[in-house]
Amino acid sequence: MMSANMMLRTMLSRPAIRRPLAAVLVAATAIAALPAAAANLTVARSVDADSLDPQKTGTTQSLQITNLIFDTLLTMDKDGSVHPGLADKWTVSDDGKTYAFTIRDGVKCHDGSNFDAAAVKFNVDRAVDPATVNPNASAWGPVSGTSVDGNVVTVKLSEPYGPFTSFLTNIQSSLICPSSVSGAEFKPIGTGPFKFVSWTRNDSIQLEANGDYRNVNPLIQNPGKPYIDKLTLKVIPEAVARMAALRSGEVDMAEPSLEEAGDLKSDAGFKVYAADLSGQQMVAAFTWKIKPLDNPDIRKAIGMAMNRDAYANIAFEGLVGTGNCPVAPNLFATDEALCASWGVKYDPDAAKALMVKAGYGPDHPLKVKLLVHKLPGWDQMHQIMQQDLAVIGVDAEIETREVAAFFDYMKGVNEKTDGEPAVWTMGMSGVDPDYLYFLWKQPGFVNMGLNADLDAMLEQQRQLSGDARAAKIHDIEKYLMENAYAIPLLSPGWGWLMASSAKIDGFKMGYMVSLLFNDVKVAE
Amino acid sequence: MIRLIAKRLTAAFATVLAVILLSGVLVHVVPGDPVTAMMAQSVTATPEAMDEMRSRLGLDLPVWMQVGRYALNALSGDLGTTIRGNEPVARLLLERLPNTFMLAVAGLGIALLLGIPLGFIAAVNRGTAADAAVMIVAVLGVSIPGFWLGLVLIQVFSLHLRWLPVAGTDFRNLILPAFTLGLTYCALVARMTRSALVEILAEDYIRTARARGLREHQVLIVHALRPALISIVTVVGLVFAYLMGGQVIVENVFSWNGIGRLAVQAMLQRDYPMIQGFIVIFATSVVVVSMSLDILYGILDPRMRQR
Repeated sequence: MMSANMMLRTMLSRPAIRRPLAAVLVAATAIAALPAAAANLTVARSVDADSLDPQKTGTTQSLQITNLIFDTLLTMDKDGSVHPGLADKWTVSDDGKTYAFTIRDGVKCHDGSNFDAAAVKFNVDRAVDPATVNPNASAWGPVSGTSVDGNVVTVKLSEPYGPFTSFLTNIQSSLICPSSVSGAEFKPIGTGPFKFVSWTRNDSIQLEANGDYRNVNPLIQNPGKPYIDKLTLKVIPEAVARMAALRSGEVDMAEPSLEEAGDLKSDAGFKVYAADLSGQQMVAAFTWKIKPLDNPDIRKAIGMAMNRDAYANIAFEGLVGTGNCPVAPNLFATDEALCASWGVKYDPDAAKALMVKAGYGPDHPLKVKLLVHKLPGWDQMHQIMQQDLAVIGVDAEIETREVAAFFDYMKGVNEKTDGEPAVWTMGMSGVDPDYLYFLWKQPGFVNMGLNADLDAMLEQQRQLSGDARAAKIHDIEKYLMENAYAIPLLSPGWGWLMASSAKIDGFKMGYMVSLLFNDVKVAE
Repeated sequence: MIRLIAKRLTAAFATVLAVILLSGVLVHVVPGDPVTAMMAQSVTATPEAMDEMRSRLGLDLPVWMQVGRYALNALSGDLGTTIRGNEPVARLLLERLPNTFMLAVAGLGIALLLGIPLGFIAAVNRGTAADAAVMIVAVLGVSIPGFWLGLVLIQVFSLHLRWLPVAGTDFRNLILPAFTLGLTYCALVARMTRSALVEILAEDYIRTARARGLREHQVLIVHALRPALISIVTVVGLVFAYLMGGQVIVENVFSWNGIGRLAVQAMLQRDYPMIQGFIVIFATSVVVVSMSLDILYGILDPRMRQR
């Protein structure tokens, strides 16, 4: 288009041939423009990536971008099953300590170099090297060595690691082309559906479709090059401004605020998308070392008072669902029906009776803190929760902190064995129930670890695979829920919404709130 | 004159050093650390692995040591690299400093263009309805929060009239944020202009000028406004500092790619080198501008050199 226009202008400077030629050129441009319908897409997000090196960042906002540029070794379907990615097939040794991945033939990096088994070895070595300071290094598992034989890369583990193949589908495990780090500065060169063009930090990231792309991800239909040619990801921090940009047509897609998502849903000019596969789960937890929350009956009563349907439908405008397990639905071994049978059910009358039995009632309420952090929807959820607790004679005082300060504070709170008892809420995400290990194994994330029994189960599920592992994960979930250490609330819960104008078709959100643009078509 | 410059330079250097030390301590006192912040959405590290990351990043050292080390590096011109993304802090900031300055200067220009005439009208018509009207506008300007005014301007000019884009960092994007800042700070300028003029209009030489039969506009513009402007110059330094501070919010509302945006992001992530770098650059800009104004004032008004 650009060159045609320039040519037109050059030609037009010669007056003699101006009119007839202009007519021909205009007609020609019009015809040429028909099939290639301006396939550019602009998306507004609230926060920019902080790095485009997937081995140096763990935030959703960064990984949403790296996942467009890079591919993973394996992929995951909606049911949590693992499928080929850059690896065609793979084998596991009987002792569960050696994995051999056969790398697909003919995979090309964006700079034209080949992506082969040696490139995979390079990635694994770099990802687990402490010098890389990779926030996801632990999730790679106990990698003890790597080797290459032809198009097969072998990864040796010092002990079995059941979640390994799940993790290799996670956007946190994206593989870079070694040429990305050949210079002094990181250059995002990958094998993914989009090539990196430019990045103005805090302003915009420009990508263009990778003509050589071959898709194998079961969540995506388009087998080849994305339909859109250019993809621009803009940063517009203010929600009101982001919506103004979407409504004025300045951008085609935008992360809506929770309130706006409700409005857009009922507007025929727009579409709203939610990441059903976010891998996010919200839970309520307790300072169970502090009396009287050491009493499982009181923890259960508090759980039974929580009206999760109201949180989902009122605080989150029906844009989330209740999640019954301590990990998100759709993940490996996660059975919502089973979890429902282990967990407490909403029953304020029975909860009240339990509280009375423990010596608490409207005249003598149990005073607790409700420790929370700020997120859209969460504030209102906690206000409803506070009223729910008041009904059963629990007087909860809400204390809200900004996220980094909150987790720092919880580290101290969870260490204490006396003082003011507290109920607290949090959310976590991943593609495998193994995130229970990072959360609950002593000392645990922000010191939330439980005890030796649970630690043993968390270690054992890592040693197992298949059905045996699923059974162990069920044991862990059952233990957390029957003893009411965790009260599962909702899924998902943060930054999982996207909105577009109605002319955008085919947009999807994958695991970990990844943005899948491969199938996107822009109608005229 | 050289003594004045030397004195101002020493004071400026001491101010910046004090800012580095004080802000360094304060930044570390704020609860939450960069590694925990990184895990807030998806925990993928054991507590041991998080400690290993902290020690790689030097976050396990005592605060005084981290701050001291930072101050030494900063004074030798090295502002370090960001924790998130591992990029040179100085480069990120210097790339955006022109954007921030452009917006501050544009905002200041609007504040002066609107504020001086308004203050002038109020002073000349002191005690009348016009004076009261201008002062009401001034109070409103000071009271209306920048983020709210900004969002209203976006709704009107970007969404309904579609005259100007919502987000970005080029010339067309400069107009709305500059007006947001200008409207907020013109109130301050108007008040300063008014009080300076009111004072001058009561001086003997104004009465003399009038007695000599000069035309009223000559009296007001040549004999009253000019000396008033000299005292306004000193206020400009103050307004500029306010503008740079107020801009953090306006940059966010208008997605203007300045240093304020970087700072907000860095604070949420507890990216210490980035936050400290912002404070150093911010403090240095304000100190340099106010020092330049002091020196300029010394050149304009010989009496200042003696102080």
